[in-house]
Amino acid sequence: MFGYYFKLGVRSLRRNPVLTTLMVLTLAIGVAASVSTLTILHMMSGDPIPQKSTRLFAPVLDNRPAENYDPGHERPDDQLTYIDVVNLLKSGQGVRRTGMYGIAAVIEPPDKQIEPFWTEGMAPTRDFFAMFDVPFVYGGPWSEADDARGADVVVLSREMAEKLFGDANPIGRQVRLLDAPFTVIGVIGAWSPQPRYYQLQSGRKFGVNEDLFIPLASAIRHKSSHNGGMSCSARSDPGFEGILRSECTWLQFWFETASSADRADLQAWLDNYAADQRRLGRMKRNAPNELYDVPEWLVHMKVVGKDNKLSAWLAFGFLALCLVNTIGLLLAKFSVRASEVGIRRALGASRTDIFRQFLTESAVIGLAGGVLGLLLAFGALALLSLQSSAMAAVARMDLAMLAFTFALSVLAALVAGLLPTWRACQVTPALQLKSQ
Amino acid sequence: MLRMSNLSKVYRTHMIETHALRGFEIQVNAGEFVTVTGPSGSGKTSFLNIAGLLEEFTDGEYILDGVNVKGLDDNARSRLRNEKLGFIFQGFNLIPDLNLFDNVDVPLRYRGFNARERKERIEDALAKVGLASRMKHYPAELSGGQQQRVAIARALAGSPKLLLADEPTGNLDTQMARGVMDLLEQINAAGTTILMVTHDPELAVRTQRNVHIIDGQVSDLVRRAPSLADSPVPAAVPA
Repeated sequence: MFGYYFKLGVRSLRRNPVLTTLMVLTLAIGVAASVSTLTILHMMSGDPIPQKSTRLFAPVLDNRPAENYDPGHERPDDQLTYIDVVNLLKSGQGVRRTGMYGIAAVIEPPDKQIEPFWTEGMAPTRDFFAMFDVPFVYGGPWSEADDARGADVVVLSREMAEKLFGDANPIGRQVRLLDAPFTVIGVIGAWSPQPRYYQLQSGRKFGVNEDLFIPLASAIRHKSSHNGGMSCSARSDPGFEGILRSECTWLQFWFETASSADRADLQAWLDNYAADQRRLGRMKRNAPNELYDVPEWLVHMKVVGKDNKLSAWLAFGFLALCLVNTIGLLLAKFSVRASEVGIRRALGASRTDIFRQFLTESAVIGLAGGVLGLLLAFGALALLSLQSSAMAAVARMDLAMLAFTFALSVLAALVAGLLPTWRACQVTPALQLKSQ
Repeated sequence: MLRMSNLSKVYRTHMIETHALRGFEIQVNAGEFVTVTGPSGSGKTSFLNIAGLLEEFTDGEYILDGVNVKGLDDNARSRLRNEKLGFIFQGFNLIPDLNLFDNVDVPLRYRGFNARERKERIEDALAKVGLASRMKHYPAELSGGQQQRVAIARALAGSPKLLLADEPTGNLDTQMARGVMDLLEQINAAGTTILMVTHDPELAVRTQRNVHIIDGQVSDLVRRAPSLADSPVPAAVPA
């Protein structure tokens, strides 16, 4: 019977075009508003690396002086010192480790027709690529030996490789940056995790990723300044060397463990490390040493702001308002069908049959509202994408949200249809048949 | 086919109690064509609504084709209505945005017939009323007489045992009314029991039995010899 009810529902859309249009439009606007804000929230709060998000850990250590320490009220900086990054890299903890910092450099293209230009990049260690499942279209990551000696090698994003070398395979080609020739050893493919969990400290939570990657040791050797924030709790010696020896925090670090169960061991090791450093005169606060897996890290770094959540609530409030309107319109639509209900009841339809038929008709209105709502939501997201590259990165609808749009619209229509449908079921057939 | 014993129907508002039927007794046997007459407000419509399971009665007993309908829930009453009864109304009561085929299809859908059987029954029913060629037409495209024929086809499609007709010719001119009445007589002759409410004495005399209702009670019974239907003689009905 569902097919029959569905057919009647589709036919019913044509019965009163003005009322139907109003209902579908009301529902579509409510759904579009909810879905577009929810899409952004969904993309913002999604797990960017679900296959290993509970095996990747960002450590946070408090290396600030003990003076004026107010336990529980002060948050340590979320970045690490160069000293700690070097020590953690040597630790052998986990199956992979990477330390990194953001760089900005002038690239001198091999094609002299192209003017030198600034670009943003990253200086991680080799494990970065394997840890974060970075795909390569040409070549691959640099070797451990390259890490050790700070080799002048570079991995480019596909866009950057095409900009510099066209469609040709650029492996082995050279490009000048940091006033030195760097050999291209890899080109990465489509890789754009959102949020940019691996380097949220830069403040750029969403958007396009870096265009080039060079070994951390190479960036240090070339004294490449960092592109991002730095927090210093004590005076440092002058110059780049001074910063390397200082208690200034400006690098990021990640561990990868074989399983999430290894977290306790890693935490124990981190506590021991901090204790060792305290014995060496550092980390005098004896503050808790923190480890965050990716989901925890996203919460800790407040990737989804309160305003985003508020927007979603407001959008759902608007949907509720639209639903109230839809209920009124459905009541009007169904009330003029009392005679049909009477006829159907006389011909053998039970109240349950009428309930199913009218609720299915509501669902059909919901489906139509879903289609229109989806189009409106796509339009809204396209407009939002124009705001910034960060917004463009999250204002994208995935399959889950697509399905959710239809589910929400149908559910909303079913909820709106409950009262009008119940009223339709209460029709006294004898009265309607006589009044015809 | 239908037996009501000491049946009563009381409509109550917070102020007034109206007895539409009281001590109502009637028996209609299989194959009969019975007319129900009476002045306005006598209880004819209440009787027909109760007989058609469209309304519940207050007290008494109602047996429909061997089934005691008292206490049946809505689903059971609807199933019984669908399987055993056919309705013909004064106002035709066709669904305006369904074509003739789909209008006749309505009761068959609730019966759960498969598509092939429904199609056969619809075509057969529309052919019986002479409208097989207009299946895709909508009610508004037909005359009143034709619309009533569609209603008859819809009532017949499910092969009901009892056809309930409420002033089926009330909205038709004399010629169309005569045509509809002829059709009902043919249906009765084919074995379907018919219970018809009418104000028209000319129609009442054409049937085998006329039950006259006054003040919610059967007041008079006129028997005639079977004419069109070769049915058994009706059992005595208490006045």
